[in-house]
Amino acid sequence: MSWYRSKLERDLKRWQAAGWVTPDGAGAIRRDLDQSKAAFAAAPVLAVLGAVLFGFAVMSFVAAHWTGMSKLARLALLIGALWACYGGAALLFQRQLAAFAHAAVVGGIAVYGASIMLIAQMYHMEGNPADAVLLWALGALLAAALASSAAALAAGFVLLTIWCAWERIGSESALFGFLLPCAGAALMAAWLRWRPGLHLAALSLALWIVPLGFLVWGGHAHWLVVLIGGVAAVAAVVCGRALDRHLPVSAALFTYGLAVTYAGLFILQFLDDGRWFLGGADSAPLLRLLLLAIFSLALLLGAMVWALNTDNRPALWLAYTAFALEIFTLYVRTFGSLLTTSLFFLVAALIVSGLAWLAYRLHQSKTTTEAAR
Amino acid sequence: MTLPANRMARALALLALLQTGVLAVMVFDRMRLLTSGREISLPIVPVDPRDLFRGEYVELGYAVGRVPARLLEGPPPLANAPFYVTLEKVPDGSWVPVKLTRDQPQAAGPDRIVLKGRSRFGRFALNAEDPNAVASVRYGIEQYFVPQGEGPRLEALARDKKLAALIAVDGSGNAAIKGLLIDGRLQYEEPLL
Repeated sequence: MSWYRSKLERDLKRWQAAGWVTPDGAGAIRRDLDQSKAAFAAAPVLAVLGAVLFGFAVMSFVAAHWTGMSKLARLALLIGALWACYGGAALLFQRQLAAFAHAAVVGGIAVYGASIMLIAQMYHMEGNPADAVLLWALGALLAAALASSAAALAAGFVLLTIWCAWERIGSESALFGFLLPCAGAALMAAWLRWRPGLHLAALSLALWIVPLGFLVWGGHAHWLVVLIGGVAAVAAVVCGRALDRHLPVSAALFTYGLAVTYAGLFILQFLDDGRWFLGGADSAPLLRLLLLAIFSLALLLGAMVWALNTDNRPALWLAYTAFALEIFTLYVRTFGSLLTTSLFFLVAALIVSGLAWLAYRLHQSKTTTEAAR
Repeated sequence: MTLPANRMARALALLALLQTGVLAVMVFDRMRLLTSGREISLPIVPVDPRDLFRGEYVELGYAVGRVPARLLEGPPPLANAPFYVTLEKVPDGSWVPVKLTRDQPQAAGPDRIVLKGRSRFGRFALNAEDPNAVASVRYGIEQYFVPQGEGPRLEALARDKKLAALIAVDGSGNAAIKGLLIDGRLQYEEPLL
């Protein structure tokens, strides 16, 4: 049973007992939930997974067995497989088997990528391997646009992110060129009205932003990452209502903004000095670390309060996890200078208690104003 | 959001056509390079001469793959971006690098040829002032997939002999392996199709 279903069951019992919901009404609500669940059937998901596995099977079979064939035969095989996938998709669309048709489109994308790699192998092409991944990603996005395929769009996002990481490792540059196809793919997700696609867009954008500090302005510009994430989160807080009138995005925007902000702060505190976790207390100027840590913890607590008030579960869990990670890393990092460690935890304890008191007072004043009405 | 079946069929045909087109451009571009490119032969410097053709693909080394940093003229190449190495034919018939530039230079005369290369280790970080610094350059002709059945024959032929690769080079400096020369004789030629 899903989390929502079990919560609803509990609430329904309570509402029925209070007399707000009739037994008939409760039955209707349950039936409605069961019906909406049918749309989330396993068949399409399994079909797409099957297509991906089929693609891998073709790739490895071809790679293992085709050395006996002439180049022309190999090319015919690849292009034949490509047309078979898209032809099969057209046939399945005609028979109203849309889920399987989309799986066939994903199969076509897999064959297209395999063909790029195998042609490069056949003709001893080397060049820049990341370019081949970009070519594949653009093919996947083309498939998403032409076949209105959400699964193809997901493949496009994954391939774009792989291309970005690969190209960045090679060129050690920010790769602003990533933003254009990413924006195009995000627009496509909006056009397809596919909400998970927008999440994928936000996720790939976040993955592009987080390492940015290492790649621009001498490799220490992590405050820029904090700033970008902070602007997104603050925008979600300040203009959330206005945004949500058009499209309910402010909760997600806040969560992604928080994730990017904290990732930037984490890098700034623990990774920027070139040392990893067990760097010892002397690896960064301690005061800087302490100030940043206090700032991070206060920010995370603020985010928790906001997430609680706006009923934003993902942001709340993210803030909890980040808080735990921060405390754990700080502990490991300052281990060895016991005095500093204890001092830090004293400060943290004071902040948390102070905020708890503040939250309590806020809650009280809210209830008294409500009671006065 | 799904299109009507007949429009979807047309969209999928267009998709298949465009992706086939991309693959065809890859193949034709290579065929053009192999058929119309200028031919040069470069001696192969194998890493392990006895096992050269045993594996599925071999890594071919070339003397021109080591370019002294002092040959750099003008600004250094950008990270992960290609650059150009000018080769010159010396009296004994072999080619030696004479110039390394970020932009493509004019190749003048039959004794000069320009190859497009990339730094083997991603970033090009060499001090041109250091007289001993050497740039390790890949021209895209270093990986060779040994043709099926040819391995043992080439292996036997190559034992203790002089090996060279026949390279086709186009006007933009792209290079491709056209065949293998053993003791100066063409022993294996890559089929176009």
